[in-house]
Amino acid sequence: MSPEPVISVREVSKWFGSVVAVNDVGFDVFPGVTGLLGPNGAGKTTLLRMIAGLAAPSEGGVRVLGEQVRADPELYRRIGIMPEHESVYDFLSGHDFVELNARLQGLADPAAAADKAIAIVDLAEAADRRIGGYSRGMLQRMRLAATLVHDPVLLLDEPLSGTDPPQRRHFQTVIRRLSEEGRTIVISSHILEEIEAVADRIVLMVSGKLAAIGDYRAIRQKLNDRPFLMRVDCDDPRTMGAALLGIDGVESVEVDAEGPLRVRSHDIAAFQRALPGTAAGLGIRLTRVDPLDDSLESVFEYLAEG
Amino acid sequence: MSVVAGEGAAIFRLGLQQLLASRRSWILLLLVGLPLLAAGLFHLAEESNAREFADDLTNQMLVSVILPLAMLVMAAATFGNELEDKTLGYLTLKPVARWKIVLAKFLATLLVGGVPVALSGLVATLIVVNDDAAGAAAVGLGLLLGAAAYGAGFVLAGLLTRHALPIGVVYVFIWEAALASVLDGVRFVSVRQYTLGFIHGIDEVQLSTLDIELGIVAGLIGLTVVPVVYLGLAVRRLGRMDIP
Repeated sequence: MSPEPVISVREVSKWFGSVVAVNDVGFDVFPGVTGLLGPNGAGKTTLLRMIAGLAAPSEGGVRVLGEQVRADPELYRRIGIMPEHESVYDFLSGHDFVELNARLQGLADPAAAADKAIAIVDLAEAADRRIGGYSRGMLQRMRLAATLVHDPVLLLDEPLSGTDPPQRRHFQTVIRRLSEEGRTIVISSHILEEIEAVADRIVLMVSGKLAAIGDYRAIRQKLNDRPFLMRVDCDDPRTMGAALLGIDGVESVEVDAEGPLRVRSHDIAAFQRALPGTAAGLGIRLTRVDPLDDSLESVFEYLAEG
Repeated sequence: MSVVAGEGAAIFRLGLQQLLASRRSWILLLLVGLPLLAAGLFHLAEESNAREFADDLTNQMLVSVILPLAMLVMAAATFGNELEDKTLGYLTLKPVARWKIVLAKFLATLLVGGVPVALSGLVATLIVVNDDAAGAAAVGLGLLLGAAAYGAGFVLAGLLTRHALPIGVVYVFIWEAALASVLDGVRFVSVRQYTLGFIHGIDEVQLSTLDIELGIVAGLIGLTVVPVVYLGLAVRRLGRMDIP
């Protein structure tokens, strides 16, 4: 018998006027870290807001721990959401901010719960400073402390956006530690590398629809197998184009009317390795090599189509 | 758990901090200072028509302008600012009943906005008519009840629209000040008229130089029903709205 999902999203849609933000999405979330991945505008935030009860689905339903969140504020004793926007009561100290959240959760000893949560995110030394003066990374960690102060199911919306690499690594370490404790965490991002560093499972959304769901390794493999389109400028495009067709993985070469080559390859690594040597062997000078469809949107669209 | 303890107390304290930390508190300070300034100038001028001046001060300045504007400035921000800066989720994503959130924030608004206006009215009346403590208390109490009615309405407006402030200004000067003065029917649905009727009803000397249409019963019913209805609607709105 399969375990009960912690979060159950059932055929959920949400529209604002004529704009469909989330379209018939359904999946289950179990303990561990689930990454909600997708480009900007994919509907991740809207979906997280519906899971948290901040917005009502236009159709379908969401259950957390078997209950409908929107109908029962008491369920917030077991849910913690950290929205993407970083608004805080910036006149409070970090400790007061976390303690306020503990009080609103009705915890028996809010100050002690705040101390414990702040220790988890390693910010005890900054806890008495005004939160309005924190760096982006510190702010995100203190907001995480406020979110986890009551030991909940965690919903984190783009928590790593705007953080620098050290801050990101620190935050990811905290998330991994929380995951190892058996917590259920949903974390959204538009960057696969951010998600795969912490997530056991990925839910991929594109244009409001569920595009893929599963182990991050499978999605990463699909990403690596995706054909890439490259632009190659050189001083002898016709000779170069013929030679490029001999490189492993190259599917097609087009010569643009203005001169540049458009090369489609499903093994970008092999193409990048072979290109300089092929050009040098023919005595051709390369003047420009650029990816033509490397935007996140094109990557996600490819995965969605796959 | 009661609204004055636990999470209710935490929201109340937060509401106080938010209102006192905002620039709006300076506007409030200016508004509540004006009646005191007017009363002080009257006192220095040693005029003899104290009763008439006190009534005009209560009617034309305190109840018609200072009270609604002070409550508009503070109460529209009670939830309006939280919606604007997207901090309301910190309250609504907690296991706290919506009525506790609304009531705690409303009481904070009443304390920060209504009490200073009531004290300003009380002290200004005492300055003008210095041997009438009971009358000054009647003005203060009436203003406090009026503040609750206006405050509840503007708290609801802050939840309903981002434009609560300009809409509130139109309401105060068109409905309450202009229409309620000339149209008989409107007087029965005017917080200003309820407040004046209540003050005159509990101390007949107050506002005796004016033509007060509503009695104490109508005033008291209005000042009780209005905040209850508006706060009830605010609780309903908070429970159903999408939080940004």
